[in-house]
Amino acid sequence: MTKKNHHRPRRTSPLLSGETQHRRHRPDYSLIIICLLLLVIGMVIVYAISPGLAAQSELSESHFVRRQMLAIVLAIVTFFVVARLPLEIWWRSIKVLIAITVIALLATQFTGSGEANAARWVQVGGLSFQSVELLKFTLVIWLAGFLSQRHREGTINDFQRTLKPLAIVLATSGFIVAVLQSDLGSMGVVAGIIAVMLFVAGVSWRLLFIGAAAILFAGSLLIFTSPYRQERVATFLNPQADCLAEGYQACQALIAIGSGGLFGKGIDRSAQAYGYLPEAANDSIFAVYAEMFGFVGVVVVIALLVALFTRLHRIIERTPSMYSQLIVVGVLTWLSIQAFINIMAMVGLFPLKGITLPFISYGGTSIIFVTAAVALVFNISRYSTFSVIQAKQPNKAARQSNKKGILRDNPVKRRRNGRPHYAYPIRRT
Amino acid sequence: MQQTEKTPNVLARTRIWYVLILLLSAIVLVRVFYLQVIQHDYYKTAAYVGQMREYEIPASRGVIEAFNGDAVVPLVLNESRYLVFVDPLHIEDVPGSAEALIGVLGSLDRAEVEGKMAADNRYQVVQKNITKTVIEKVEALELPGVGVQEEPKRSYPHGMLAAHLLGFVNDDGEGVYGIEQALNDQLVGAPGQLRAITDARGIPLAANPENTLIEPQEGKRTRLTIDVSLQKQLEDALEDGLERARSESGGALIFDADSGAIKAMANYPTFDPSRFYDVSIDDSGVFANSLVTSPLEIGSIMKPLTMAAALNEGVVSRNTTYFDPDQFTIDGATVRNVEESSGVGERNMEDILRLSLNTGATWLLKQLGGGDINETARTTWHHYMTERYFFDRPTGIEQGYQVGGNIPDPLDGFGLNIQFANTAFGQGMTTTPLHAAAALAAVINRGTYYQPRLVAAQSDMAGEMQGVEPIVVREAVVSPSVSADVRHLMEGAFSQNYRTYGLSGLRSGFSIGGKTGTAQIPNPEGGYYEDRFNGTFFGYVSGESSTYVIIVRVDEPRIGGYAGSTAAGPIFVDIATTLLDSYGMQPRVN
Repeated sequence: MTKKNHHRPRRTSPLLSGETQHRRHRPDYSLIIICLLLLVIGMVIVYAISPGLAAQSELSESHFVRRQMLAIVLAIVTFFVVARLPLEIWWRSIKVLIAITVIALLATQFTGSGEANAARWVQVGGLSFQSVELLKFTLVIWLAGFLSQRHREGTINDFQRTLKPLAIVLATSGFIVAVLQSDLGSMGVVAGIIAVMLFVAGVSWRLLFIGAAAILFAGSLLIFTSPYRQERVATFLNPQADCLAEGYQACQALIAIGSGGLFGKGIDRSAQAYGYLPEAANDSIFAVYAEMFGFVGVVVVIALLVALFTRLHRIIERTPSMYSQLIVVGVLTWLSIQAFINIMAMVGLFPLKGITLPFISYGGTSIIFVTAAVALVFNISRYSTFSVIQAKQPNKAARQSNKKGILRDNPVKRRRNGRPHYAYPIRRT
Repeated sequence: MQQTEKTPNVLARTRIWYVLILLLSAIVLVRVFYLQVIQHDYYKTAAYVGQMREYEIPASRGVIEAFNGDAVVPLVLNESRYLVFVDPLHIEDVPGSAEALIGVLGSLDRAEVEGKMAADNRYQVVQKNITKTVIEKVEALELPGVGVQEEPKRSYPHGMLAAHLLGFVNDDGEGVYGIEQALNDQLVGAPGQLRAITDARGIPLAANPENTLIEPQEGKRTRLTIDVSLQKQLEDALEDGLERARSESGGALIFDADSGAIKAMANYPTFDPSRFYDVSIDDSGVFANSLVTSPLEIGSIMKPLTMAAALNEGVVSRNTTYFDPDQFTIDGATVRNVEESSGVGERNMEDILRLSLNTGATWLLKQLGGGDINETARTTWHHYMTERYFFDRPTGIEQGYQVGGNIPDPLDGFGLNIQFANTAFGQGMTTTPLHAAAALAAVINRGTYYQPRLVAAQSDMAGEMQGVEPIVVREAVVSPSVSADVRHLMEGAFSQNYRTYGLSGLRSGFSIGGKTGTAQIPNPEGGYYEDRFNGTFFGYVSGESSTYVIIVRVDEPRIGGYAGSTAAGPIFVDIATTLLDSYGMQPRVN
């Protein structure tokens, strides 16, 4: 093997490789394709409703389109930057990242512009961004590093070492996001990321049940102590009780989706986007999309999302280290929970609202950070563990290291066999 | 280490999470299928109910114009005013919105505004008649649920001119009184309709195949027969004359005897049609065009018409003389000469008019009955009053609230003979001044009764002005020779009395006939007031090519002399002089 062979196993950081056999290869380009398709769908909707929305707020007709284009361009730049940075750099600079995140979160309290939900935005010069998106990004990286460390130590279930710091992080971000910014949707995503990553990292089922029971108990307590919350729950449970009269406001999203029918009204026929749905281009964009493109269109978007989640899942299965695995788990959780909260709120299956649909919703911060998260995964998808293809004749060295199904391989030999660059795992049993 | 780094545990749990994600995706798809396919019709209806709105596109009301000499000038135009309404369904913050709205609109009752913002109805008008500058401030507030609507208003370039005959348009867009009421259907046009999918604020969204539009049909442009300068001078003459006579109210009109066209028509007191709402409910009588809405006992101006009937029936001739006993006793009641009596003696036909002899008029009625007041006399005279002078039915002029008068039945009732004797000199019956003018016009224009009218032309569907032809209601009301006889008698009587009315001299080439009336006012409790009279005067001015009938009514003047002579006469003279001097009547060339 020569040094020039870029397919030789590289020993990078211990986090990434440890002593495991892994290889670098072509990354998973399908990630880019899926994300671009989702971005295009979002762009199309924004393009279609931009003039109407602009007319309602006396903005220029192309206001929303221009800003969305800018966001996508920035997102693409971000993607290539993040995709080229070595993965370990994030964990090494986690303290800086946390510091920036905390400053950004706190800054929202001082730079508010007086608009609605101002507390969610940070103003830097003429730009503004939603600090909670940065929080999600930082959280995924920190949790991946933190949990993989604890996992290695075998202290995942240790209260002092693991659970207490997590509880503190959860409580702190909960206070800032849910209380100060009153952004319950994002809080759901943050809590979901923590819970799922902890779950995947191997927290005991016993603790899991205790946690779930505690959340259920606290939740019911909150609901049954307040008639207001009871009412909220009641409206949620039966939002379409009377869409034709009193419930009219409550089920604008249902009306938009339901009136779309099988094939939709057409791209220029949305009515619900104009004043009926709050935040038509952001939080309610799914309803507008469903109104325009119908059930067929919804199937396309869900299929794209499922395809994305499936790719992420496959990358988790192949990626060589716990750290990178957990990062992908975190990104998968972030994107899926955010998408499901958004869509399920629209279709009346979930009470929380006010959250963007990844890639599709109008809004630069969401698009840029979600793209950055996918770029992390894209980076990770360059590396896989692998096992021997001809398992019946493993060489001695490979057999020696064949523990728990991980086999050494000779990449050069594989290439000679005419194998494509991509290494397919065969660990499915 | 290596063994724990990628434990099956991690991947198994990831798989659990992944399966959960797939499960959620499936649930979402099933739910969306339920909403979009199974429940589609329900939500389609809900969307339709919420988004589809119907708008009436108001047709602009027909402009009203009139002559000024040969030119045509606008009398009533339209201008834009605005109203502010609220849709309680979209009001988010009732006290805040009310506060902001009151801040811009000024003094409104706070509780009332908040009440409207919380009402069940989705359309609550907060304020009307708002100018554009104020409405722009309202729009700048951008309050959800607060809407602005344009509402057209009438504007009057000539101010209060001809207010009574114009009438006005009320807050509901309906014409009331005058032309506006009578021709409301033609002036209002047909509103168009837009059914459209709208945004939440109710603004129609373009490019929707379900939108339907019916264009509004504009109201008809209406050109009146009146002449604005003549109208102005008539109003001035009326107001001055009423002031001289110390009368509270009255009216006057000029009527083209050869076409039925009203040239000017006014009442006093009057009002400002652009500020009709300033008139209190108790004073709403001021809106009425009394010349067509309020019948009265017309008094002695009836005598030329009685004379015409007698002449036309051939029971007297222009040169007939008779013995006047200065009083008649009929049915136990006495007919006396209350005006300008000159005692017992031999009288001719002109004397009856000149001296305004009640006994003379009664004598004429007797002649219609072959020498006595009887059924023949009554039915004949009744026939004239109702079938030739049309006193008992509305004239058909384009005016709101027009009425006919009350003519006693000739065959049914008590004391019919004395009652009909009274009608011979204009008491015991009622009709409007307009009726009297129209009847006189028929009598002096060789016998053609034209329907009084105010409309000279109106726009057709294409917007072209189409002239309105005179409407002949009856020909041969009297024969041409009788017509000439009556003119001769009236002009003769006038030529001896004109100084009494303030006219300095007659003009060659013009003939003027006239007759005063001083009518007792009936007491609602029975009989007549002894000291209250209405003064009336009617007559005509005739030149080379045109004849105008003028009638003046002065309610309860408080100056000395007979009301017809001293109060109404001078106003007639003023108006007649105006016609001769400034309206450009051409003298007759012999």
